[in-house]
Amino acid sequence: MPTPVLVAVLSCKAVIAVLLLAAGGAKLADLSGFASTVRLFLPRPARARSPQLAAGIAVGELAAGAVSLSVPQARWPSLVVLAVCVAFALTWSVGYVRHRGRSCRCFGALSAREFDQAGVVRAGVLVLAALAAAAPVPVLSVQLGLGGRLALLAGGALIAGATCSAAAAAGPRQALARRAMSRQAL
Amino acid sequence: MTLRIPLYLAIAQWALLGALGVLVIVLFRQLGRLLRGTATAAELGPVIGSRAAGLSYLRPGEQVPRKLAPGTGQPALIAFVDPTCPSCEQLVLTLDQLQAAGDLAAVRVLLLISDPASYLQISEAFSATELEIGRPSDPAGLESYRVTGTPLLVAVDASGMVTATGSAIRAAEVRRYIQASLGSTQAPAVAPAAVVRGEGTA
Repeated sequence: MPTPVLVAVLSCKAVIAVLLLAAGGAKLADLSGFASTVRLFLPRPARARSPQLAAGIAVGELAAGAVSLSVPQARWPSLVVLAVCVAFALTWSVGYVRHRGRSCRCFGALSAREFDQAGVVRAGVLVLAALAAAAPVPVLSVQLGLGGRLALLAGGALIAGATCSAAAAAGPRQALARRAMSRQAL
Repeated sequence: MTLRIPLYLAIAQWALLGALGVLVIVLFRQLGRLLRGTATAAELGPVIGSRAAGLSYLRPGEQVPRKLAPGTGQPALIAFVDPTCPSCEQLVLTLDQLQAAGDLAAVRVLLLISDPASYLQISEAFSATELEIGRPSDPAGLESYRVTGTPLLVAVDASGMVTATGSAIRAAEVRRYIQASLGSTQAPAVAPAAVVRGEGTA
Protein backbone atom coordinates (compact mmCIF):
# COMPACT_ATOMS: atom_id res chain seq x y z
CA MET A 1 0.00 0.00 0.00
CA PRO A 2 1.46 3.42 -0.96
CA THR A 3 2.34 5.54 2.06
CA PRO A 4 -0.13 8.41 1.35
CA VAL A 5 -2.98 5.90 1.08
CA LEU A 6 -1.84 4.18 4.27
CA VAL A 7 -1.72 7.53 6.07
CA ALA A 8 -5.24 8.36 4.80
CA VAL A 9 -6.63 5.01 5.93
CA LEU A 10 -5.04 5.24 9.37
CA SER A 11 -6.15 8.87 9.69
CA CYS A 12 -9.76 7.85 8.98
CA LYS A 13 -9.47 5.14 11.62
CA ALA A 14 -8.04 7.45 14.27
CA VAL A 15 -10.29 10.43 13.54
CA ILE A 16 -13.50 8.37 13.61
CA ALA A 17 -12.44 6.75 16.88
CA VAL A 18 -11.77 10.16 18.43
CA LEU A 19 -15.10 11.49 17.07
CA LEU A 20 -16.94 8.58 18.67
CA LEU A 21 -15.23 9.23 22.00
CA ALA A 22 -16.10 12.93 21.88
CA ALA A 23 -19.70 12.29 20.83
CA GLY A 24 -20.19 9.65 23.51
CA GLY A 25 -18.70 11.87 26.22
CA ALA A 26 -20.85 14.86 25.20
CA LYS A 27 -24.03 12.77 25.10
CA LEU A 28 -23.36 11.40 28.58
CA ALA A 29 -23.44 14.97 29.93
CA ASP A 30 -26.92 15.59 28.52
CA LEU A 31 -28.66 12.23 28.49
CA SER A 32 -32.15 13.66 28.96
CA GLY A 33 -31.66 15.99 25.99
CA PHE A 34 -30.35 13.19 23.81
CA ALA A 35 -33.19 10.92 24.99
CA SER A 36 -35.69 13.44 23.66
CA THR A 37 -34.06 13.10 20.23
CA VAL A 38 -33.98 9.29 20.47
CA ARG A 39 -37.70 9.39 21.28
CA LEU A 40 -38.41 10.91 17.86
CA PHE A 41 -37.30 7.67 16.23
CA LEU A 42 -39.08 5.20 18.48
CA PRO A 43 -42.58 3.78 18.14
CA ARG A 44 -44.96 4.86 20.90
CA PRO A 45 -44.69 1.68 23.07
CA ALA A 46 -40.89 1.96 23.17
CA ARG A 47 -40.71 5.70 23.95
CA ALA A 48 -40.56 5.11 27.70
CA ARG A 49 -37.28 3.30 27.12
CA SER A 50 -35.63 6.26 25.41
CA PRO A 51 -33.44 7.26 28.43
CA GLN A 52 -31.98 3.76 28.66
CA LEU A 53 -31.48 3.59 24.91
CA ALA A 54 -29.83 7.02 24.90
CA ALA A 55 -27.45 5.90 27.65
CA GLY A 56 -26.76 2.69 25.73
CA ILE A 57 -25.90 4.61 22.55
CA ALA A 58 -23.57 6.99 24.44
CA VAL A 59 -21.77 4.14 26.23
CA GLY A 60 -21.65 2.14 22.98
CA GLU A 61 -20.00 5.06 21.19
CA LEU A 62 -17.43 5.39 23.96
CA ALA A 63 -16.67 1.67 23.89
CA ALA A 64 -16.44 1.51 20.08
CA GLY A 65 -14.22 4.59 20.03
CA ALA A 66 -11.92 3.32 22.77
CA VAL A 67 -11.50 -0.15 21.24
CA SER A 68 -11.07 1.20 17.72
CA LEU A 69 -8.46 3.70 18.91
CA SER A 70 -6.41 1.35 21.07
CA VAL A 71 -6.68 -1.95 19.18
CA PRO A 72 -6.03 -0.83 15.59
CA GLN A 73 -4.65 -4.16 14.43
CA ALA A 74 -7.95 -5.98 14.98
CA ARG A 75 -10.34 -5.88 12.03
CA TRP A 76 -13.64 -6.35 13.87
CA PRO A 77 -13.66 -2.97 15.67
CA SER A 78 -13.41 -1.28 12.27
CA LEU A 79 -16.41 -3.27 11.07
CA VAL A 80 -18.36 -2.36 14.22
CA VAL A 81 -17.49 1.31 13.67
CA LEU A 82 -18.60 0.99 10.03
CA ALA A 83 -21.94 -0.46 11.18
CA VAL A 84 -22.31 2.39 13.69
CA CYS A 85 -21.61 4.99 10.97
CA VAL A 86 -24.12 3.35 8.61
CA ALA A 87 -26.68 3.46 11.44
CA PHE A 88 -25.91 7.17 11.94
CA ALA A 89 -26.35 7.85 8.22
CA LEU A 90 -29.70 6.04 8.19
CA THR A 91 -30.83 7.95 11.28
CA TRP A 92 -29.82 11.25 9.70
CA SER A 93 -31.69 10.39 6.52
CA VAL A 94 -34.85 9.49 8.44
CA GLY A 95 -34.38 12.57 10.60
CA TYR A 96 -34.03 14.75 7.51
CA VAL A 97 -37.19 13.33 5.97
CA ARG A 98 -39.40 13.18 9.07
CA HIS A 99 -37.99 15.60 11.63
CA ARG A 100 -36.31 18.31 9.58
CA GLY A 101 -35.23 21.27 11.71
CA ARG A 102 -35.21 19.35 15.02
CA SER A 103 -31.97 19.22 16.94
CA CYS A 104 -29.93 15.99 16.61
CA ARG A 105 -27.93 16.55 19.82
CA CYS A 106 -25.17 14.39 18.29
CA PHE A 107 -22.66 16.15 20.52
CA GLY A 108 -25.06 16.73 23.38
CA ALA A 109 -25.36 20.33 24.45
CA LEU A 110 -22.26 21.23 22.43
CA SER A 111 -24.07 20.90 19.13
CA ALA A 112 -27.02 22.91 17.93
CA ARG A 113 -27.05 21.15 14.57
CA GLU A 114 -30.41 20.16 13.19
CA PHE A 115 -31.48 17.42 10.80
CA ASP A 116 -30.70 19.05 7.48
CA GLN A 117 -29.26 18.27 4.08
CA ALA A 118 -25.70 19.14 5.08
CA GLY A 119 -25.98 16.66 7.95
CA VAL A 120 -26.98 13.87 5.58
CA VAL A 121 -23.93 14.67 3.43
CA ARG A 122 -21.70 14.69 6.53
CA ALA A 123 -23.10 11.31 7.58
CA GLY A 124 -22.38 9.97 4.09
CA VAL A 125 -18.79 11.20 4.28
CA LEU A 126 -18.48 9.52 7.68
CA VAL A 127 -19.61 6.21 6.17
CA LEU A 128 -17.03 6.56 3.37
CA ALA A 129 -14.33 7.30 5.93
CA ALA A 130 -15.40 4.28 8.00
CA LEU A 131 -15.25 2.16 4.84
CA ALA A 132 -11.72 3.37 4.20
CA ALA A 133 -10.78 2.75 7.82
CA ALA A 134 -11.92 -0.86 7.50
CA ALA A 135 -9.42 -1.53 4.72
CA PRO A 136 -6.66 -4.00 5.63
CA VAL A 137 -3.32 -2.35 6.43
CA PRO A 138 0.22 -3.69 6.93
CA VAL A 139 0.53 -5.16 10.41
CA LEU A 140 3.75 -3.30 11.09
CA SER A 141 2.06 0.10 10.82
CA VAL A 142 -0.52 -0.69 13.50
CA GLN A 143 1.43 -2.92 15.84
CA LEU A 144 1.23 -1.32 19.25
CA GLY A 145 2.78 -2.40 22.51
CA LEU A 146 0.94 -2.28 25.82
CA GLY A 147 2.42 1.14 26.56
CA GLY A 148 1.19 2.55 23.26
CA ARG A 149 -2.31 1.18 23.78
CA LEU A 150 -2.51 2.52 27.30
CA ALA A 151 -1.27 5.91 26.15
CA LEU A 152 -3.94 6.06 23.44
CA LEU A 153 -6.60 4.93 25.90
CA ALA A 154 -5.51 7.63 28.32
CA GLY A 155 -5.66 10.22 25.52
CA GLY A 156 -9.10 8.98 24.50
CA ALA A 157 -10.32 9.13 28.10
CA LEU A 158 -9.02 12.68 28.34
CA ILE A 159 -10.93 13.70 25.21
CA ALA A 160 -14.14 11.98 26.35
CA GLY A 161 -13.86 13.51 29.82
CA ALA A 162 -13.09 17.00 28.51
CA THR A 163 -15.98 16.85 26.03
CA CYS A 164 -18.33 15.62 28.74
CA SER A 165 -17.25 18.48 30.98
CA ALA A 166 -17.59 21.07 28.20
CA ALA A 167 -21.05 19.74 27.30
CA ALA A 168 -22.12 19.84 30.94
CA ALA A 169 -20.97 23.45 31.14
CA ALA A 170 -22.93 24.28 27.98
CA GLY A 171 -25.99 22.42 29.30
CA PRO A 172 -27.81 25.32 30.98
CA ARG A 173 -27.38 27.48 27.89
CA GLN A 174 -28.73 24.77 25.65
CA ALA A 175 -31.57 24.03 28.07
CA LEU A 176 -33.04 27.03 26.41
CA ALA A 177 -33.51 25.35 23.06
CA ARG A 178 -32.67 27.89 20.41
CA ARG A 179 -35.82 28.51 18.52
CA ALA A 180 -36.94 31.41 16.46
CA MET A 181 -40.59 30.57 17.01
CA SER A 182 -41.87 33.43 14.92
CA ARG A 183 -40.09 32.08 11.85
CA GLN A 184 -40.26 28.35 12.39
CA ALA A 185 -43.79 27.94 13.62
CA LEU A 186 -45.49 29.57 10.70
CA MET B 1 19.70 6.26 18.19
CA THR B 2 16.44 6.55 16.22
CA LEU B 3 13.11 6.05 17.93
CA ARG B 4 10.76 4.15 15.62
CA ILE B 5 7.07 4.30 16.43
CA PRO B 6 4.27 2.68 14.46
CA LEU B 7 2.70 5.04 11.93
CA TYR B 8 -0.74 4.58 13.50
CA LEU B 9 0.47 5.73 16.91
CA ALA B 10 1.81 8.97 15.41
CA ILE B 11 -1.41 9.61 13.48
CA ALA B 12 -3.64 8.80 16.47
CA GLN B 13 -1.65 11.21 18.60
CA TRP B 14 -2.28 13.96 16.06
CA ALA B 15 -5.99 13.11 15.98
CA LEU B 16 -6.17 13.34 19.77
CA LEU B 17 -4.24 16.58 19.70
CA GLY B 18 -6.61 17.96 17.07
CA ALA B 19 -9.63 17.07 19.20
CA LEU B 20 -8.01 18.75 22.16
CA GLY B 21 -7.48 21.86 20.03
CA VAL B 22 -11.17 21.90 19.09
CA LEU B 23 -12.09 21.59 22.77
CA VAL B 24 -9.88 24.57 23.59
CA ILE B 25 -11.79 26.59 20.96
CA VAL B 26 -15.08 25.43 22.52
CA LEU B 27 -13.76 26.54 25.90
CA PHE B 28 -12.97 30.03 24.60
CA ARG B 29 -16.38 30.30 22.95
CA GLN B 30 -18.07 29.31 26.20
CA LEU B 31 -16.00 31.88 28.02
CA GLY B 32 -17.02 34.51 25.47
CA ARG B 33 -20.71 33.63 25.90
CA LEU B 34 -20.32 33.82 29.66
CA LEU B 35 -18.84 37.29 29.43
CA ARG B 36 -21.61 38.66 27.21
CA GLY B 37 -24.34 36.59 28.90
CA THR B 38 -26.21 39.58 30.31
CA ALA B 39 -26.56 41.23 26.94
CA THR B 40 -27.98 38.07 25.34
CA ALA B 41 -30.47 37.52 28.15
CA ALA B 42 -31.94 40.94 27.45
CA GLU B 43 -32.82 39.82 23.91
CA LEU B 44 -35.19 37.10 25.13
CA GLY B 45 -38.87 37.75 25.61
CA PRO B 46 -40.97 40.90 25.35
CA VAL B 47 -39.96 44.12 27.05
CA ILE B 48 -41.15 44.23 30.65
CA GLY B 49 -43.64 47.03 31.09
CA SER B 50 -44.74 46.97 27.46
CA ARG B 51 -48.24 46.05 26.32
CA ALA B 52 -48.50 42.36 25.42
CA ALA B 53 -49.48 41.84 21.81
CA GLY B 54 -52.55 39.81 20.92
CA LEU B 55 -51.96 36.37 19.47
CA SER B 56 -53.99 34.01 17.36
CA TYR B 57 -53.40 30.30 17.67
CA LEU B 58 -54.78 26.96 16.61
CA ARG B 59 -55.55 24.28 19.15
CA PRO B 60 -54.64 20.72 18.07
CA GLY B 61 -57.35 19.29 15.86
CA GLU B 62 -59.13 22.62 15.38
CA GLN B 63 -59.29 24.59 12.15
CA VAL B 64 -60.56 27.90 13.46
CA PRO B 65 -57.94 30.08 15.17
CA ARG B 66 -58.56 31.32 18.69
CA LYS B 67 -57.37 34.65 19.97
CA LEU B 68 -55.47 35.63 23.05
CA ALA B 69 -56.28 39.24 23.74
CA PRO B 70 -54.31 40.51 26.73
CA GLY B 71 -55.86 43.31 28.74
CA THR B 72 -59.38 41.95 28.96
CA GLY B 73 -59.28 41.71 32.73
CA GLN B 74 -57.75 38.28 33.21
CA PRO B 75 -54.07 37.81 34.04
CA ALA B 76 -52.28 35.40 31.74
CA LEU B 77 -49.21 33.25 31.81
CA ILE B 78 -47.98 32.47 28.30
CA ALA B 79 -45.46 29.65 28.04
CA PHE B 80 -43.58 29.21 24.77
CA VAL B 81 -42.61 25.56 24.88
CA ASP B 82 -41.89 22.62 22.60
CA PRO B 83 -42.44 18.87 23.00
CA THR B 84 -38.92 18.23 21.69
CA CYS B 85 -37.31 20.40 24.37
CA PRO B 86 -36.55 18.50 27.62
CA SER B 87 -36.65 21.64 29.78
CA CYS B 88 -40.07 22.48 28.35
CA GLU B 89 -41.35 19.07 29.41
CA GLN B 90 -40.17 19.77 32.94
CA LEU B 91 -41.91 23.14 32.86
CA VAL B 92 -45.18 21.53 31.70
CA LEU B 93 -44.94 18.99 34.54
CA THR B 94 -44.38 21.85 36.99
CA LEU B 95 -47.37 23.74 35.62
CA ASP B 96 -49.50 20.60 35.96
CA GLN B 97 -48.44 20.30 39.60
CA LEU B 98 -49.25 23.95 40.22
CA GLN B 99 -52.63 23.53 38.58
CA ALA B 100 -53.39 20.51 40.76
CA ALA B 101 -52.43 22.59 43.79
CA GLY B 102 -54.80 25.36 42.69
CA ASP B 103 -52.07 27.92 42.10
CA LEU B 104 -53.23 28.63 38.55
CA ALA B 105 -56.90 29.22 39.39
CA ALA B 106 -56.82 32.98 38.81
CA VAL B 107 -54.51 32.93 35.80
CA ARG B 108 -55.13 31.89 32.23
CA VAL B 109 -52.30 29.60 31.18
CA LEU B 110 -51.55 29.07 27.50
CA LEU B 111 -48.84 26.79 26.16
CA LEU B 112 -47.71 27.87 22.71
CA ILE B 113 -45.68 25.41 20.67
CA SER B 114 -43.75 25.77 17.43
CA ASP B 115 -43.39 22.04 16.76
CA PRO B 116 -46.18 20.50 14.67
CA ALA B 117 -49.14 19.29 16.75
CA SER B 118 -48.26 15.68 15.90
CA TYR B 119 -45.17 16.06 18.12
CA LEU B 120 -47.38 16.41 21.19
CA GLN B 121 -47.78 12.62 21.21
CA ILE B 122 -44.02 12.16 21.43
CA SER B 123 -43.87 13.74 24.86
CA GLU B 124 -45.67 12.18 27.81
CA ALA B 125 -45.84 15.52 29.60
CA PHE B 126 -47.44 17.27 26.65
CA SER B 127 -49.85 14.49 25.78
CA ALA B 128 -51.04 14.21 29.41
CA THR B 129 -51.41 17.86 30.32
CA GLU B 130 -54.87 19.41 30.59
CA LEU B 131 -53.53 22.92 30.11
CA GLU B 132 -54.53 24.76 26.95
CA ILE B 133 -52.10 24.16 24.10
CA GLY B 134 -51.97 26.09 20.86
CA ARG B 135 -49.75 26.76 17.88
CA PRO B 136 -49.41 30.33 16.65
CA SER B 137 -51.30 30.71 13.39
CA ASP B 138 -50.40 34.27 12.52
CA PRO B 139 -47.03 36.04 12.76
CA ALA B 140 -48.77 39.27 13.75
CA GLY B 141 -47.86 40.08 17.31
CA LEU B 142 -45.48 37.16 17.71
CA GLU B 143 -42.39 39.17 16.80
CA SER B 144 -42.75 41.38 19.87
CA TYR B 145 -42.47 38.31 22.12
CA ARG B 146 -38.93 37.70 20.85
CA VAL B 147 -39.06 33.94 21.26
CA THR B 148 -35.44 33.14 20.55
CA GLY B 149 -35.48 30.08 22.80
CA THR B 150 -37.71 27.79 24.77
CA PRO B 151 -38.98 27.49 27.45
CA LEU B 152 -40.00 31.13 27.69
CA LEU B 153 -42.54 32.35 30.23
CA VAL B 154 -44.34 35.65 29.83
CA ALA B 155 -46.48 36.98 32.67
CA VAL B 156 -49.18 39.39 31.59
CA ASP B 157 -51.32 41.24 34.14
CA ALA B 158 -55.03 41.98 33.93
CA SER B 159 -54.42 45.26 32.14
CA GLY B 160 -52.40 43.52 29.42
CA MET B 161 -48.96 44.70 30.49
CA VAL B 162 -45.96 42.36 30.50
CA THR B 163 -44.85 42.08 34.13
CA ALA B 164 -42.21 39.37 33.92
CA THR B 165 -40.44 37.35 31.27
CA GLY B 166 -37.74 34.73 31.21
CA SER B 167 -37.14 31.05 31.62
CA ALA B 168 -38.17 28.92 34.59
CA ILE B 169 -38.66 25.27 35.39
CA ARG B 170 -38.99 24.83 39.15
CA ALA B 171 -42.27 25.48 40.95
CA ALA B 172 -40.84 28.25 43.12
CA GLU B 173 -39.63 30.11 40.03
CA VAL B 174 -42.89 29.65 38.16
CA ARG B 175 -44.86 30.90 41.19
CA ARG B 176 -43.01 34.20 40.91
CA TYR B 177 -44.29 34.57 37.36
CA ILE B 178 -47.81 33.76 38.54
CA GLN B 179 -47.50 36.41 41.25
CA ALA B 180 -46.15 38.84 38.67
CA SER B 181 -49.19 38.28 36.43
CA LEU B 182 -51.53 38.72 39.40
CA GLY B 183 -49.56 41.74 40.52
CA SER B 184 -51.82 44.58 39.51
CA THR B 185 -55.04 42.95 40.69
CA GLN B 186 -54.24 40.88 43.78
CA ALA B 187 -50.80 40.30 45.15
CA PRO B 188 -48.07 42.92 45.27
CA ALA B 189 -46.15 42.72 42.04
CA VAL B 190 -42.74 41.22 41.85
CA ALA B 191 -40.48 44.02 40.77
CA PRO B 192 -39.73 43.23 37.12
CA ALA B 193 -36.03 43.74 37.66
CA ALA B 194 -36.12 41.20 40.46
CA VAL B 195 -37.49 38.43 38.30
CA VAL B 196 -34.69 35.96 38.18
CA ARG B 197 -34.21 34.52 34.77
CA GLY B 198 -34.15 30.75 34.73
CA GLU B 199 -31.36 28.27 34.21
CA GLY B 200 -31.74 28.46 30.49
CA THR B 201 -30.77 32.06 30.10
CA ALA B 202 -28.85 32.32 26.88
